[in-house]
Amino acid sequence: MSELDFELRLDRMFSEPPHFPDAELFARDVETRLERGWSMRRLFIGAAGGVAGLVGVGQFMGAGLFLKAAGSEVTSQAGAVGKAARELLSASSSLGAFPVSPEVLWMTVGLGVLALGFAITRATQEF
Amino acid sequence: MAQTRAVAGLHDVELAALAAAGERPAFGELVRRHGSAVRGLLRRMGAQPALADDIAQDAFLTAFERIAEFRGEGAFGAWVKRIAARLYVRRWRKDSRLTDEQESEDAGHGGEMSTVARIDLDEAMQTLSDPERMCVSLCYGAGMSHAEAAETLNTPLGTVKSHVKRGMDKLRVRLAPAQGEGREAERQGHV
Repeated sequence: MSELDFELRLDRMFSEPPHFPDAELFARDVETRLERGWSMRRLFIGAAGGVAGLVGVGQFMGAGLFLKAAGSEVTSQAGAVGKAARELLSASSSLGAFPVSPEVLWMTVGLGVLALGFAITRATQEF
Repeated sequence: MAQTRAVAGLHDVELAALAAAGERPAFGELVRRHGSAVRGLLRRMGAQPALADDIAQDAFLTAFERIAEFRGEGAFGAWVKRIAARLYVRRWRKDSRLTDEQESEDAGHGGEMSTVARIDLDEAMQTLSDPERMCVSLCYGAGMSHAEAAETLNTPLGTVKSHVKRGMDKLRVRLAPAQGEGREAERQGHV
């Protein structure tokens, strides 16, 4: 048998997959691991999205208060922070003045955080 | 079940595209089609059955992670085999099971020509030394060029070539049909 013939024969032999009686079990094991990994990833991305959403909402709220404080002719930074904190406190205490209950308001904020988290999660999966 | 039947008729490239879009049943079908080939390759490379199956699973999970890189230019099976072979080589190195100095021919029994008419490839591969088995498996089983095998094994190209050559010589002797069988086959061919 020539060298080339033998190489071709060897190629053929290597390309013939052996038969494994547990081939289906192997495939299911891979699918299970895939599923588990996928669930873990979704959980992780969801958690990361939730945290990111929380940070995002915090940033929005902080920026709004800071701008408000900056606009009230407080020149020193310490003064601005102090005023912002006081405004936050007064906003918290005056929640009762809103037409909805504070519980509903906080629930809305919570849902907003979740929605933002969900959006970030989706965006992460897409890109 | 209907989903399994739906993906069963698709080509590997179509299944890979579906898997890239997150369709895990499509990837499951790819595992069904190529699982045995990957497991077989790893065993031929010298991995124990349990280790071979673990690495084969890891290879498929890695393939799923990197499925977007598979463009369908080559065969999906060959692509996964390369991933599996590289994972095994990495593990092999980590375990320090082999060094270049370990090229002793103790594992090779090429000189003992068996009179058994047919010896299958798996048995024949057992007669090679570890480096020979590894190099022959990478080049013929995983479809790598000598240069790719050398890079994967982090071994000089010349060393890989000589391992392949020696391994091939042993396999040629080992897989050669026994004289009696050869004559029998010849006779049947003339009938």
